[in-house]
Amino acid sequence: MLQTRNLSKRFGAHTAVQSVDLAVHEGTLHSIIGPNGAGKTTLFNLLSGDLQPTEGEIFFKGQPITRLDSARRSRLGIGRSFQRTNIFPQLSVFENVRIAAQSRSTASFDLWHPASSLGAVSQRAGEVLREIGLHERAEQLARELAGGDQRLLELAIALATDPVLLLFDEPSQGLSPEDAKRLMARIRALAARYTIVLIEHNVNLAMELSNEITVMHFGSVLARGTPAEIRSHQGVRDAYLGRRG
Amino acid sequence: MKARSLGALALLALIVALTPLLVRYPTLEAQMLISGLLALGFSFLLGQMGFLSFGQATFNGIGAYAAALALLHWHVPLVLLLAIGILAGTLSALVVGVLSIQGVGVYAVMLTFALNEMAYFSAFQLKGITGGDNGLRGLIRPDLFGFSLSSSLTYYYLVAVVFVLAVYVVLRIIDSPFGHVLRAIRENEQRAKAIGYEVRHFKIAAFALSGAISGLAGALYALLYQFVPLEAIDFNTSTNIVIMGLLGGVGSPFGPILGAAIYTLLANFLSEVWARWPLVLGVIFCCIVLFLRGGLWELGPLALRRIRHLGGGNVAADSKPL
Repeated sequence: MLQTRNLSKRFGAHTAVQSVDLAVHEGTLHSIIGPNGAGKTTLFNLLSGDLQPTEGEIFFKGQPITRLDSARRSRLGIGRSFQRTNIFPQLSVFENVRIAAQSRSTASFDLWHPASSLGAVSQRAGEVLREIGLHERAEQLARELAGGDQRLLELAIALATDPVLLLFDEPSQGLSPEDAKRLMARIRALAARYTIVLIEHNVNLAMELSNEITVMHFGSVLARGTPAEIRSHQGVRDAYLGRRG
Repeated sequence: MKARSLGALALLALIVALTPLLVRYPTLEAQMLISGLLALGFSFLLGQMGFLSFGQATFNGIGAYAAALALLHWHVPLVLLLAIGILAGTLSALVVGVLSIQGVGVYAVMLTFALNEMAYFSAFQLKGITGGDNGLRGLIRPDLFGFSLSSSLTYYYLVAVVFVLAVYVVLRIIDSPFGHVLRAIRENEQRAKAIGYEVRHFKIAAFALSGAISGLAGALYALLYQFVPLEAIDFNTSTNIVIMGLLGGVGSPFGPILGAAIYTLLANFLSEVWARWPLVLGVIFCCIVLFLRGGLWELGPLALRRIRHLGGGNVAADSKPL
């Protein structure tokens, strides 16, 4: 579903991502893990369209998307979350999700009819809120939500755009252990219906959730395989223990 | 549209209809409404989309010149003059919009300012067309379908009808799917992009709408004084529009209308008794920016909450702007 070929990103003399070949298969939850500074977030930003690669290509469903910006990738069906919570703070929880659902309708340049008359859009927003468990907070302002709920809202915004592929950048970062658990349970439930790429710092969480894992180290792919294979991989153990291979 | 907005619009229409019958200053009152449109055009960009435009006089001036020139040279009928003002304002705002949104943050603001200065000096230099420093004189207000508008009271009522219609249209746009996208951009542009919106297109369209309102105001202004002074496109006018908007508050479309009315009244009466009247305005403006961020329009909901509080009602409920 999502593929990269020889993907590299250099910032001046520093190479953050080096010749990465990634293959995310339909229906899998694919985690990208690695120690701090391994290039995970840079790789994520290349996939989401926030950064342009120095070299290499990205394919989505076989089509090249390397030069498309984040808005176009979203319209193709790639939904994403942000590492730091990124919502519409002064809008209601419902409106946060509704405006995301509206992005799939052709009515966004309608200047005349009330937005509330877009029945299918409002209905979709309601469904997503129920699914994610925020429907009771629909009328609250997004900024009034607790941190964990804001992360859930972040997921809901991504889901409301009806993606086929979801990109999550360290979704549990900065959450309390209980909130992180709740969020991961949601992601596990989503994995049944979506293809997911998860950037995760917490190795145990990633092992628990994923079908496939790619381990990054110093910008390159160190290992890839099932959680069991990764667990027994000597190079990965060394990387996490801080030895250079 | 929400019932509350419709109610407020009906009340506004009533006030607009009765004012010149109770207090007879129709020219001043028409000026208040025209300034209200200018402030509304400004607040649409700032309040809905979060874009601070310091060059609204560009659209006002170009709308005024276009309508005035069409009248002088081709004796175009009145309704068409207003349409020409709208069109000229829209086109000029498209140009300013496309260029300004290339800038980020304060640089975008500076671009609206710089383009305003360019428009001003162009108008100043093109004496053969705009009359330069002397302004564009010799306009004669045409009839409306054979009905004479030569008295200032009848002209006031034309301005009033156009004004109420324009406010109605803005209220509908604010409530439309398009208006909702603008607020999403205001709240978080990066996120709006990430859910698939071509933010650039929405921003340019919002500029065009703001320009349309301002160009309409320009045409009404030219016909009110039967004269277009160079001031119509002056940067000072842009500053005054910003002050009107912030005075009343940009959160609701009714805020800038209130701000423009108060500003115009102060400018008219205080300037007669004291030449240094902008000092008073400055003090009021500072107080509002420091203590009443939402502008004077915020006083309404504040007072309502206080009353509800006294009555033992739910204080936390409902502080939503209209």
